[in-house]
Amino acid sequence: MLEFQGGSHHAFEELFARYRGPLYGFFRRRLDGDQRAEDLTQETFLAVIRAAERYEPTALVRTYLYGIAMNLLAAERRRRAKDSPPGKEAPEPATREAPDSVLWIRQALEKLDDSEREILMLREYEQLSYAEIAELLKLPVNTVRSRLFRSRMALKGYLEPQRKSSDSAAAGELVERAKLAQAEGEAI
Amino acid sequence: MNKIVHPIEPEELMAYLDGELPADRANATAAHLGECAECQGLVAELRNVSHTLKTWKAEPPKSAVSAAIATALAESRPISRGVTPARRRNWRQVLGQRWPTLAWVGAVAAILLLAVGVPTLHRGRADYAFSRHGEPVDSAVVTKTVREQSEARSLPSPQPPAAAKAKQFDRLQTFAQLQAGPPVKYKRWLQDQSADEPGPLPNGPMIIRTAELSVIAKEFDKARANLEAILKRHRGYVGELKANDSTGGGRTLTATLRVPADQLDATLTEVKTLGRVESESQSGQDVTSQYVDLEARLSNARNTEERLTDLLRNRTGKLSDVLAVEQELDRVRGEIERMEAERKNMATQVSYATLNATITEDYKAQLQVVPPSTSNRLSNAAVEGYRSMADGVLSLALFLLSTGPSLLLWGAVLFLPARMVWKKIRRSFAS
Repeated sequence: MLEFQGGSHHAFEELFARYRGPLYGFFRRRLDGDQRAEDLTQETFLAVIRAAERYEPTALVRTYLYGIAMNLLAAERRRRAKDSPPGKEAPEPATREAPDSVLWIRQALEKLDDSEREILMLREYEQLSYAEIAELLKLPVNTVRSRLFRSRMALKGYLEPQRKSSDSAAAGELVERAKLAQAEGEAI
Repeated sequence: MNKIVHPIEPEELMAYLDGELPADRANATAAHLGECAECQGLVAELRNVSHTLKTWKAEPPKSAVSAAIATALAESRPISRGVTPARRRNWRQVLGQRWPTLAWVGAVAAILLLAVGVPTLHRGRADYAFSRHGEPVDSAVVTKTVREQSEARSLPSPQPPAAAKAKQFDRLQTFAQLQAGPPVKYKRWLQDQSADEPGPLPNGPMIIRTAELSVIAKEFDKARANLEAILKRHRGYVGELKANDSTGGGRTLTATLRVPADQLDATLTEVKTLGRVESESQSGQDVTSQYVDLEARLSNARNTEERLTDLLRNRTGKLSDVLAVEQELDRVRGEIERMEAERKNMATQVSYATLNATITEDYKAQLQVVPPSTSNRLSNAAVEGYRSMADGVLSLALFLLSTGPSLLLWGAVLFLPARMVWKKIRRSFAS
């Protein structure tokens, strides 16, 4: 990134080659329509070029890129919310080519709380560290960790409904255990 | 289940799986996992969730660098070349601390540069440089100084052994150089370099320039010879040339000339001196974005080629797969060649402007000096006579046919009264 800032064309190409796929995946999993995901990926890089002179190496390039991507995503969602008439749900994400398992995962993720889902997706798909997620979402690292744990436990329940009764009980117990431990930690 | 037997919290187990625990806690967790079946179960479940989530894969993106990005990249280059505020501070600090050293190094470098560069660039222009300043300097001294400086190049000492006069010469030449721009010889070398290979993207916009000029010349042959001389002088060439000599009018020369883009204005000015300018027009087409786009596509295709080559070299697979990769490689190479040709063509068009020149002769009607031969005139007269006779007969026949009937009618009507009047007159004469 610093190289690119210094005017290296090649550095940008490398940046582009390395993050094009992950960024596309980021948008593709969060929005319907592959073309829009493509556009937003390109827009992210465009923003990088335009803001290159303002870039300061306080964060990792990855966090910086995903920060831009998050902003673009938020803007896109706002636009969609404004465009679609109130009361009507946004169109169901494109699932024509998606196999059943993917559909199943998507539906399970939809059931999660917004913030928890975002943390989980950033961890699982974008492979960001807890600290990076915390920086991106402006949350304390501990909150990120506990929410991540909660979302994973909840998702486990959603993904395996056949064993729902026993598992959710176990999950509930585990969550309770975690909370207790946290309370103990705070008390100390 | 007893909570006290778990020294590790479930969240920590998750953090351990994610590689987010500090080393000491990670070791403790690993030790605990080895003996606690319940925690092993939790770890397995967490792994299972992650694994299930990973099955949702986004397909790879299709598009390469878009034109918008390429353009923005090209535009951002000069801006992004600037240093960040943080770095600027550093430079200032460095300058502040090491100013004397830097000044010495700079001075030595400048002297070296002058000693090496100036004689090479200005050997041919020494006299010109001096006459410009109106300082009469003996040309022998000048050549001597140049020679001394050339020798100084081979010396390790940064100070050339030339005397005060040589220094003055340096100053004068540097000033003359600033005024006159880079010497022709050096300029030409630069252009040759750029003409040989399109090279990296130039900083400024890329414009294909086209000019049209129509000139009326009094002396056509001289104008044509001059045109060729102008072309030679500006290192241009003729793309197409048509000369036309029509009877009863002036001669015309239509030529499509290609001249180096930076020479176009000078060429135009010189071509205008060939005669009276009848019309002139200039146009420019900006192809910067096209060029940048092409470069980006080219570099992408090269990357693909490289990857495919690596694939072919390092992987062993089914014959059909190898053939498929080779086929793809062929296609990509073809594309690269096509794009390279396109790029070269564009670069040539940019570096060479097109001048459509038309030179028309200022025509004056001239007296026919040689009359046609007698036999020709006789045969022409005979033909003319025969033709006028035939025409006469024909027109008489036509006249009779067209007016005959009405003449007969009026003749018949007027015959009897006319005869009566005639008889009356004869009778009165007789009596």
